[in-house]
Amino acid sequence: MKHPFLNNKKLLFYYGLFWLVIGVANALVQYLWYGTDLSAAFLSALTFFVLYPVLGGSIWFIIKYNSLEEKDLLWVMLYHLIGATILNGIWIYLTFILTKIIAPLHLQELYETLPGKLFSGYVLYVIYVLFFYSINYYQTLKEKIQKESELKSLIREAELSALKSQINPHFLFNSLNSIASLTINSPEKAQEMVINLSRFMRYSLQHDQDETVSLKDELENIKLYLSIEKVRFGRKLNPVFNIEESCQGVQIPNMILQPLFENAIKYGVYEATEPVSITTNCKNEKGHVAISIENDYDGESVRNRGEGIGLRNIRQRLELIYGSAELLRIEDQKTSFKVVLLLPKTIPA
Amino acid sequence: MTHKLKALIVEDEELARNLLKSYLKDHPVLQIIGECENGFEGVQKINELKPDVVFLDIQMPKITGFEMLELLEHKPEIIFTTAYDEYALKAFDYNAVDYLLKPFSKERMLEAVEKVVERIGNNENSHNKLEQLSTYAIDEYLDRIVVKDRHKINIIPVEAVRYIESLDDYVLIYTPDGRHMKQKTMKYFESHLNPKDFIRIHRSYIVQVGYIAEIQQYEKESYVVILKDKTKLKVSKTGYKKIKDILHF
Repeated sequence: MKHPFLNNKKLLFYYGLFWLVIGVANALVQYLWYGTDLSAAFLSALTFFVLYPVLGGSIWFIIKYNSLEEKDLLWVMLYHLIGATILNGIWIYLTFILTKIIAPLHLQELYETLPGKLFSGYVLYVIYVLFFYSINYYQTLKEKIQKESELKSLIREAELSALKSQINPHFLFNSLNSIASLTINSPEKAQEMVINLSRFMRYSLQHDQDETVSLKDELENIKLYLSIEKVRFGRKLNPVFNIEESCQGVQIPNMILQPLFENAIKYGVYEATEPVSITTNCKNEKGHVAISIENDYDGESVRNRGEGIGLRNIRQRLELIYGSAELLRIEDQKTSFKVVLLLPKTIPA
Repeated sequence: MTHKLKALIVEDEELARNLLKSYLKDHPVLQIIGECENGFEGVQKINELKPDVVFLDIQMPKITGFEMLELLEHKPEIIFTTAYDEYALKAFDYNAVDYLLKPFSKERMLEAVEKVVERIGNNENSHNKLEQLSTYAIDEYLDRIVVKDRHKINIIPVEAVRYIESLDDYVLIYTPDGRHMKQKTMKYFESHLNPKDFIRIHRSYIVQVGYIAEIQQYEKESYVVILKDKTKLKVSKTGYKKIKDILHF
């Protein structure tokens, strides 16, 4: 955090204006009311309302490193006492110098009123401390509110994109088109597809992104998805599953595999004229399950793959859930594309 | 009308083809003469069978429906059938008769056929004006160029394009494995290739910046670029300015 005066020029202006008005008023009162001579009145106002505010600006740094939430009250008070003593020492010293220059005749008087002056120095210090604490508090609060709203918009964005990916419109419309076609020649198949599509969509809509599901349930849903796509792509789509039985019960983040299969279809099956296998392996390894999804693809017609939104989204979720984005690995062999996920068996709370 | 209009279906999904066929069964003026599973087949059959109208999907394996259209010698009327609504504007840039969003009804499709019949009846097949009429609605820069060399269709990634030379109504596209001819204008490529990577250095040349090895002055105010493969190309005055802007010298 920078000094509030550097951050906020307006605040600095008002701070200066405030002490200027007070200083001028004080000098006038001393001169006109108490009959102090002009140079003495000016000197007093100068030390109290110009010099002290200038030196007082540094009190902010003591505040900054002495947050009441982080440190013991006793320590904070001790630090402030030391800070106040040093500051007052400097202030008094500079006051002597200024007096010597401006009104040497009043030096004696200064000696006599020194304890009172010191006392007011400490009182002023307390006022400044309160002032800076409130500024600090206000700034932190503002930052917190801003951060919170940023976080909220991030969450909203994530939710929206999740919702969008759950119901990919092209998938939906192409499936509906297949159904329209099936109703003419094979109504039973059309019926089956409507039911599969409904089951798939219900699953997608029911589960939140932050939920966890068993690998078994997730794979069931994937198989449902692939069976719908199989109706569209026929022999071109060839799913293969090798799942170790002991993996089935492991809890994984909901819908984390779905985008990988969507990609495999989009880049593998959709661009192919020959049958494409999508091979899914699940192995129970120490501490985690290794899930790999591999598909052939034609490197010549599929270009500029890079890391799409789907993979980035998965990485972000892994980062959020497990604290590591390295759990997702990609092996691109130019004729086949393989994604390996290492999912820890326990999900951190 | 003495004979029925010939229609061809280019569509990668069998069920989608079946639906179209059943919609068009016993149609009084239109007859299906064939179907293709992808754009490669499409090019071949359209040039061979010369259909009057083609029902064309856009997202297909290997090459898209749009890329297929660029390779045709015979230019039929086009009715796009797709689940993607985002290509509608581009479709009309290609002078399509209609744009059917899947799934569509039989009535909606028959409407499209009506339009074709009308268009052919009025003899307003205006494909040749296409290039000039098109406002070049650029949604994104090309990342590949599809060309047809004799009987082979090649997909060239734009990174492999060294330079493009104009040749009357055609352009020659030079790549590491030879040159390819395509019926497109220089203006088309100038506006559809990313200007960060490709500069029109001359009326007749568009060069990929990354392939430029040297720029030489051979007369006062007259320059040539030398490519990495030693090819020398003339640079016009405005071309030189563009190179200067991009390479910051």
